[in-house]
Amino acid sequence: MAELPPEGKPQPARKAQPAGKPPAPMAATPWEDELTLQLRAKFGEQILEFSSYLGQNFLIARREAVIPILEYLKAEAGFDYLVDVTAVDYPERAERFDLVYILYSFARNQRIRIKTRIPEGFRPASAVPVYPTANWLEREIFDMFGIEFAGHPDMRRILMPEDWTGHPLRKDSSILDMDQRWVRQHLGIESGQ
Amino acid sequence: MRKFLRKVFLIDLIQGLWVTFRYQQPKFIYTEQYPAQRPKIAERFRGAPRLNVNPETGETLCIACNLCALACPENLIVVGSERDEKTRRKILTTFTYDISRCMFCGLCEDACPVDALELTQDFELASYSREGAVWDRQMLEEGPRPTKYAY
Amino acid sequence: MPDSTFLDATELVLNMGPQHPSTHGVLRVILKLDGEKVIGTECVIGYLHRGIEKIAENRTYAQFAPYVDRMDYVAAVSNGLGYCLAVEKLLGVEAPPRAQAVRVILTELNRIASHLIWLGTHALDVGAITPLFYCMREREEILNIFEKYCGARLTTHAFRIGGLQYELYDTFEQDVRAFCDMLLPKVDEYEELLTGNRIWIGRLKNVGILTAEECKAYGVTGPLLRAAGVPWDLRKAQPYSGYEQYDFEIPTGTNGDSYDRYLVRIQEMRQSVRIIRQALDGLPGGPIMGKVPKVIKPPVGEVYVSIEAPKGELGYFIVSDGSTQPYRVRVRPPSFVNLQALDRMCRGALVADVVVVIGTIDIVLGEVDR
Repeated sequence: MAELPPEGKPQPARKAQPAGKPPAPMAATPWEDELTLQLRAKFGEQILEFSSYLGQNFLIARREAVIPILEYLKAEAGFDYLVDVTAVDYPERAERFDLVYILYSFARNQRIRIKTRIPEGFRPASAVPVYPTANWLEREIFDMFGIEFAGHPDMRRILMPEDWTGHPLRKDSSILDMDQRWVRQHLGIESGQ
Repeated sequence: MRKFLRKVFLIDLIQGLWVTFRYQQPKFIYTEQYPAQRPKIAERFRGAPRLNVNPETGETLCIACNLCALACPENLIVVGSERDEKTRRKILTTFTYDISRCMFCGLCEDACPVDALELTQDFELASYSREGAVWDRQMLEEGPRPTKYAY
Repeated sequence: MPDSTFLDATELVLNMGPQHPSTHGVLRVILKLDGEKVIGTECVIGYLHRGIEKIAENRTYAQFAPYVDRMDYVAAVSNGLGYCLAVEKLLGVEAPPRAQAVRVILTELNRIASHLIWLGTHALDVGAITPLFYCMREREEILNIFEKYCGARLTTHAFRIGGLQYELYDTFEQDVRAFCDMLLPKVDEYEELLTGNRIWIGRLKNVGILTAEECKAYGVTGPLLRAAGVPWDLRKAQPYSGYEQYDFEIPTGTNGDSYDRYLVRIQEMRQSVRIIRQALDGLPGGPIMGKVPKVIKPPVGEVYVSIEAPKGELGYFIVSDGSTQPYRVRVRPPSFVNLQALDRMCRGALVADVVVVIGTIDIVLGEVDR
């Protein structure tokens, strides 16, 4: 039997970046092939960038153009499978969230990423009419980040309990705070973390 | 006709039952009578930690480099050391390991440069209290103490 | 007594609660029933949510690897493979050929283990209790091999970023060959118990049909997509870790019902044994760890790598900000996306069929909830 250990040495500072600056942009190379020509012809300057990093192609679009691009890719280019919808939080940027759609085409055996930047409070259009897969995926984004999707048939929390406040995967939700809040509220004592 | 006979005489079900009846021989018994029969544990099994001691001199092998504490994903190792003025080396004073949060991933064992921290084959780690799951240096150096059952 | 309307209610809401022997974990399914026919289902998940993606943002790349095993805990080695491949792609290193071959062997053993648990528990749900014991007995052999190799049976942490930590132990090849030789007659035994069995066919045929178009629309991958007739397997379409060298078939079904999925998974076990034997025959020598820096700090960027896990397409989307800790790790779990199709598969089925459908999707709640 031993007593509880003494306070350990504090861990080295976890953040390598100075706080308040978004991460440096990635070293992407431009991406040109016949698909980009078709997309450029159809959408013009709604698509801001066609790039490729480590052999994986992605494009950055304006936030209103995302659903039309998805519809076009599904109907014309054969991207019939929505692999994933996810978001990344960059709190230092004005447009806080990066919404990422990953599509795959069985015929071409090719994956493509569509990224867009949205500010907090913006409600992007839901992809459920285009791909039914997006149903639970968008619910999870709402649960974890707080991004509401307009036109989603069932916009509510999926992983966290229904009465949870806050959105866990945002960078300003601290795990310790969430733990202390829950313990105080439900158990009435102080959490020992 | 054959299909009709197969159906009426339950041939497909009897085939399955025959497989089960084949296993009624005692030599196919796979159950291990624990705790009378302890299982054979592999050498690399990641079980309870142990701080190794030099068998001749009785001194600890740990050089208090703190690499295991830095490698641990759960930050549950606390290495206390003091500097010996004569040899300018660090001497281990306290070493605490919290079994209750350990996930036995083996990163600490991989990180140790002198093979002082080792995960043994002991898996019987229950204790009666939460504090009993925090092991100090003495418990870690003693090593596993499996209970012997008298049968 | 008033003309009470509640007695005429034709819709009954039944809760197949989080504690249920047939839901393969803590899954809550709310069933709307008309007598015994299912009108609609709704899944409530999140009981096993542990915040693994949030934890990833506070650990270094190497420290996060043990956590990944805990998602699909039945087939932990695949999770580790996907994560290591994703980080290696970010770093731009490739594991040496020997490490790749050993990774393939362990991943295929892990696929057999996952399918054995699937078969055992699915058969148990339907009512056939015997296959469970037999499958667990075979799984014991696989877990013994894992234990002798990396030290743990379930949460293996077998791979490291850049290759392998441990060299193969002495009797590895004998053990694996003995296991492969033992398994094939046992798979024939499972088929003897189940495939022609009229009860099994009656419970599984035409239950939970999901056509190929619906699979693609719902994003369903893995054995469900193959049973619907689409011969798509990430190991063939976008090979990773040396899979292009091995010769194996992709079993497909025709109807997309539960019986076809059962046949597909049985065939996949046999194909896995074939891959393991080829990998053992051609096992190259050489180092087991690639050139990885001591402190893993990938350049700023993002990558999406996916592998064919036993349950479907398991994908890792890792965003790096140049520091030692990942900025965002997103795991695309196959069970989460496949479970969405439960509603579609259960329309018009009976309550007993819901149990069969949940079993045939092969979900692991650790992966659904992360």
